[in-house]
Amino acid sequence: MDIVIRNGNIVDGSGRPAYIGDIGISAGRINQVGHVSGHGATEIDATGKTVSPGFIDPHTHFDAQLLWDGAAKPAIEHGVTTIVPGNCSLSLAPLKAADRMKLVGMFNQIEEMPLVAFEQGVTWNWETFDEFVGRIQQDLTINVAPLVGHSVLRLWVMGQAATERTATATETAEMQSLLRQCLDAGAIGLSTSFVDMDEKLQPVPSRYADHAELDALCAVLAEYNRILQVVHEFYDIDLTIGRIDQLAELSLKHKITTTLSPLFINRGDFEGVDRVIARIVEQNAAGARVWPQVQTRPIDISFSFAVPSLLFIRLRGWYRVMRFGTPATIMAAFQDETQRQQLVQEATSMMPLWSALILRQVETEANQQYVGKTLAEIAELRGTDALNAMIDLSLEESLDAHFISADMGHNDDDKVGSMLRHPHVMIGASDGGAHILSFSTYGDTGYLLGHFVRDKQLLSMEEAIKKITSDTADIWAIPDRGLLKSGYIADITIFDANTIDRGPEYYVQDVPGDGHRYVRDAIGVETVIIGGAVAYDHLQGYSDEHRGQVIGAPQR
Amino acid sequence: MIKVRKSIHPCATDTWESIAARELAATPLDEGVASLQSWNLHVFSRAPAAADSPRAGNPILPSDLVFLEPPLSAQ
Repeated sequence: MDIVIRNGNIVDGSGRPAYIGDIGISAGRINQVGHVSGHGATEIDATGKTVSPGFIDPHTHFDAQLLWDGAAKPAIEHGVTTIVPGNCSLSLAPLKAADRMKLVGMFNQIEEMPLVAFEQGVTWNWETFDEFVGRIQQDLTINVAPLVGHSVLRLWVMGQAATERTATATETAEMQSLLRQCLDAGAIGLSTSFVDMDEKLQPVPSRYADHAELDALCAVLAEYNRILQVVHEFYDIDLTIGRIDQLAELSLKHKITTTLSPLFINRGDFEGVDRVIARIVEQNAAGARVWPQVQTRPIDISFSFAVPSLLFIRLRGWYRVMRFGTPATIMAAFQDETQRQQLVQEATSMMPLWSALILRQVETEANQQYVGKTLAEIAELRGTDALNAMIDLSLEESLDAHFISADMGHNDDDKVGSMLRHPHVMIGASDGGAHILSFSTYGDTGYLLGHFVRDKQLLSMEEAIKKITSDTADIWAIPDRGLLKSGYIADITIFDANTIDRGPEYYVQDVPGDGHRYVRDAIGVETVIIGGAVAYDHLQGYSDEHRGQVIGAPQR
Repeated sequence: MIKVRKSIHPCATDTWESIAARELAATPLDEGVASLQSWNLHVFSRAPAAADSPRAGNPILPSDLVFLEPPLSAQ
């Protein structure tokens, strides 16, 4: 055998109780579970450790990162072995050369992927979905189950008109044909968006599609038994319920699986969340398949004024300065007395928010004394208010002062925990690889297993592992993954249940073009096996194995 | 069954006026339009399409959900 894992506490993904056993791996697959008598070329002693199927992350935007990093770092370090990119109507294929900058603009606006990362990290050598799959397969370490985006289908077929009008019957038929080509090339389903805005702050192309167009595309999904993902108006309960009904109608008509994300659970609206879940249960009891995705981590947003931040999206003056400004013009705006007064006036009504912000990182020695303090505390020390303290610190740090707004919502452990274990809820919505300048989207599984399972005991380990492995594989029709079972592909995560967690968030420069992002390191994940080879070991780092697959893509 | 607000998917050429005329036929047009706008702030508060767009002046998108009754808390 290639690898034998010995004496691990096996949580096999089925939800059944854990047990002590061995796992034998050969030719990329699990071939024995229980007692393994033969020796492996590699022997892994898992005594005292938990052995589970690799985790599946069903809502990511790693599309661009996969072009320069086939491991989607640091996802694997957190135990994730399969990711679903292409969510929310945005994928990087199919994409005509003429539309590249349009899509780059959308990724920049919606997912906060820096433009320079595309300029310096991407060689544009594909147009079709098949060519894109071939491109990312070259150095793939993690498994990828890519969605194709509705917005890019529209761009390909309709060009500029994609953001102006509904499709004609001929254009809809062309989109159906194009979707078939993508599904043949390995797309796991279709994604669409009812909320996102493009780089000009106009609705993305999918929002110009009427229900008939979406219905026609779902008819194609039905031919392939593939899934529809939507990002809906998650900020409004009635709209969320309306979308659930729309998805249920499509699911029942075409016999397809659908999923909507995210579903946030905020204090003050538990009744609304309960109505959403009740509607899901009603629709699924009637035979539909509608899966809301709930993320594990609380909402927090980090920012500096060097880049646009989601936190300011409702403050038009601030967002305009950040979105369309350069560091020099942003600093000039803060230094100009008139402009500063206007900005302060616009934001004064949100003083409780600014007061609660925590200064998390600065460059100068003089300001280190304030790190870890709230802006309210810093303002008191400086004899000013929180808003002006934030501006002053940003100027003193040449905009390299980093603040965090922590626990902004989705942070009631009991309620979120009850949703995470709900049989009609999928754990997901991590947004991995997106919003890299606002928060870390890595470590949600560690937070699930550390916080909700070990510390709060709101789910059992077996329940939680089943949710993020075999349940996800079933819902997404990902074959041969999600269970520790003979014959299944050997995607396996070995971790210490006593320590697994997500580490603290920090700002790192590892994006092409000297770009930055917020990340979290993993805690307690020891070994990750993908496709029957060790992809990552906590002591040795990443291996040279590249066994990742584009799930559903034809063998090349 | 939980109570769900009645809504429609608009037609490609729908405006506030066309929806009011079709869906709230028993209500005077001006009143119907005003009601629709107040029940659909997610659409009403959106900037209308630009003047050079085929949908010039119309904020309603073909993918929208348009409510035909007030929020449940107001009923």
